[in-house]
Amino acid sequence: MKAIRNICLTLLYLFLLAPIIVVFIVSFDTRQYLAFPPESWSFGSYTKVFANEAFIAAFGRSVVIGLVVGLVAVAIGMLLSMALVRYKFRGRDTIGFLVLAPFLVPSIVLAVGLMLVLSPMGLLDSYAGIMLAHLGITVPYTVRTITMSLMAVDRRIEEAAMVHGASPFTVFRRITLPLVSPGLIAGGVIAFLISFDEATISLFIVSIRTSTLPTEIYRYLEYSTDPQIAALSVVLILISVAVVVLVERLIGLRKAI
Amino acid sequence: MTERHVSVENLVKTYPGAAKPSVDDVSFSLPRGEMLALLGPSGCGKTTILRMIAGLVEPSSGAIRLNGREVSGIPVHKRNMGMVFQAYALFPHMTVAENIAFGLEMRGIAKADRAAKVARALDLVKLTGLGDRRTTQLSGGQQQRCAIARSLVIEPELLLLDEPLSNLDAKLRDEMRDEIREIQGRTGVTAIFVTHDQDEALSMADRLAVMSAGRLEQIGTPRQIFDRPETEFVASFIGAGNFLNGRVTGAGEAAVDGFGTLRFVGDAAVGQDVRLMVRPHRLVMGGAANSFTGTVEHIVYRGQILTMTVRSGQTRLQADLHTHAGALPEKGQTVTLGVAPEDVTFIGRAA
Amino acid sequence: MRDRGLILALLIPGLLAMLATFILPMAWLLRASFSTSTMMQVGFTLEHYRAALADPFYWKVALNTLTLGLTVSAFAVILGYPIALFLARTTSRWRGVLTALAVAPLLTSAVVRTYGWMVILGDRGVINGTLQSLSIIDTPLRLSNNSFGATVALVEILMPYAILAMLAGFGRLSTQLEEAAAMLGANPLRVFWRIVLPLSLPGVLTGALLVFVLAISSFVTPRLMGGGRVFVLGTEVFSEATVTLNWSLAAALSVMLLVLFSSVIVIYQRALRRLEA
Repeated sequence: MKAIRNICLTLLYLFLLAPIIVVFIVSFDTRQYLAFPPESWSFGSYTKVFANEAFIAAFGRSVVIGLVVGLVAVAIGMLLSMALVRYKFRGRDTIGFLVLAPFLVPSIVLAVGLMLVLSPMGLLDSYAGIMLAHLGITVPYTVRTITMSLMAVDRRIEEAAMVHGASPFTVFRRITLPLVSPGLIAGGVIAFLISFDEATISLFIVSIRTSTLPTEIYRYLEYSTDPQIAALSVVLILISVAVVVLVERLIGLRKAI
Repeated sequence: MTERHVSVENLVKTYPGAAKPSVDDVSFSLPRGEMLALLGPSGCGKTTILRMIAGLVEPSSGAIRLNGREVSGIPVHKRNMGMVFQAYALFPHMTVAENIAFGLEMRGIAKADRAAKVARALDLVKLTGLGDRRTTQLSGGQQQRCAIARSLVIEPELLLLDEPLSNLDAKLRDEMRDEIREIQGRTGVTAIFVTHDQDEALSMADRLAVMSAGRLEQIGTPRQIFDRPETEFVASFIGAGNFLNGRVTGAGEAAVDGFGTLRFVGDAAVGQDVRLMVRPHRLVMGGAANSFTGTVEHIVYRGQILTMTVRSGQTRLQADLHTHAGALPEKGQTVTLGVAPEDVTFIGRAA
Repeated sequence: MRDRGLILALLIPGLLAMLATFILPMAWLLRASFSTSTMMQVGFTLEHYRAALADPFYWKVALNTLTLGLTVSAFAVILGYPIALFLARTTSRWRGVLTALAVAPLLTSAVVRTYGWMVILGDRGVINGTLQSLSIIDTPLRLSNNSFGATVALVEILMPYAILAMLAGFGRLSTQLEEAAAMLGANPLRVFWRIVLPLSLPGVLTGALLVFVLAISSFVTPRLMGGGRVFVLGTEVFSEATVTLNWSLAAALSVMLLVLFSSVIVIYQRALRRLEA
């Protein structure tokens, strides 16, 4: 009974992790075309990826875009969360709903809308345009994580600080901010990762000038599936794993997503 | 106590990776219709025993018999025992009546019979007319009643209750305490309940089994446990006590600091060092067969009773006296306390 | 009140971002779907909706989308359920690691995992390669460049969402309820059927909805795995927007996707209310 259960679970996990495992294996294949199983092993694909200027440039752009988006999304998310958690005002529920509304809209629909808005402003295929688009889909996440950590902060601790003579700004800087910082970091990391991995919306917004790594891979894959992509994928997966470990350490993965 | 309805023999449970067994060689038995309390501090193994009887935990060794038959091979769902869980474990997606009918349904009882039995069970626990409610709409006490009805309607061989009153507030607890006792008496079901609350155990159970660190310390009626504790653990866990060391000087007599000679009930050889215990509320003002004269060191007026510490030499006694409107002892005053020999408990040889 | 200015200062950056990235895009989308021009928002016409609704191709696309969404959500939930149930109930010390493993794929790009499925299901991929080297088959099985491949890949890609949603929705499950049912005479099968399944159904429903939404709006996976032979609303919106450059039609198709999606939400909420009543 228990053995059957364990076998079933193992198979399901195998299915879930299959593409990642396979990509890892293929990335060491020496051949120029996609085939399985590999005939011989080498780091050839990796060498090629690191020599591919288009990939390197796209990787750099993705990192920059992700960092900026992560920072801004955290800043906006922190301000919004403070207002939503700490104050009562008219329209609070509406704003609270609107903030999370992008979760409720299929991303391809949002992508078309963003494209329509950015185009007349001349922001298609620009850093500002792609960052703005990514901000739209990451702010809901940062608001959610930061709101959760803010709500976990005991109001009485802040009151105690005030009673002991701290000004509201000092209370925020010395008490609130340190207490919610795991939430801030987690929110920022997730925002970075979403931006870094995002393909759907990016494909509508960027073309050559600001193509991100996922869009570059997508366009490459439309024509070729050689092991170079596998090597690149492994690099991306390793970055994700690093981030997952970081997030798990900070706040626990289940709360963050 | 001729018929052994339920018996537990040399029960041991060692969890994998644990250094010491959680339940260590415990044996006891119950006649039909008795209510037994398993009493002890948290982590003493009492819940584990209950769960082993229920079949939810597998014993490492030992036997559990029902009507003389070993039950260890019988899976949980075939043991026909009722269990009231600490948090009641009512099925949230079913009504009160559906909860109560669940066990009957599992036994394949026809719908019409089920309805009649459920109605009777609802009457028994005074939930008449609430069958269509959702369990989440019930108050804590009502949920408790529903859980009891659910486990009794299947006419179990044995009713198990895991800390049945711990989720109720103090007032409700007293009420449910009497109620559970009354229901158990009316149905005549053999019952075992687990508690860490001595008042609950003393007032509800026919007999108490006091546990400590996986071992059974003593089993007996409430009076036996309270008045004749056999171990120091039982004496100190149940009620407060003044513990005294003495040396036996004659039959039922020991030399104890402060008392001179303290007369007690119990067999001990002359010359033996013994441990004796006196309950604070059994001490009275004025000398009696045993008298202790000393200075009031500390005194707290608590309304109904006056708690004071009286010292003589190295010996301190705590006494709980009933208050009255007249003059009461004061701090620094010299007083004489007395205690009847039968209220001096012989616990054993001094360590 | 003194707080007023502060609240406003806290809200303004967020409100501006929301305006630019959500409210305006949704408004523009609606506007563009009625536009008489293909790339600008001018005039008013129902032509794009008429064109889409009159064309049997788009009906087929809508049907494909619905089929894909339903199939993928059904399989993602069925395959994810045992994992979610296991993770919800286990007391193993590996629980944290196993949860992370189940959810981690979520944090790797969908493009990367789609590529992984191309490697597995391709003509010279893992399955065909293995079967051929074992001489079980001569010619490769058609596992990719069709809707089968797209479905399999999407099931795996979206399964973590289903698992997470189910885990979150399993709050009412507890081992004590299962024990209580067993004590009352329910065998393991009946405990599952009468207690575990009904109590986990809200979570299952939420998981299914989430996967459905993500599946019907996906285009990267259907396009790459479908090899240009799988036509769903997502792929059509993408090609109208970036290849044909008929933005108004893309907008109209997006609105239709939104309508399809909203009707599913309504059905879902009805079902959930009935479950909880």
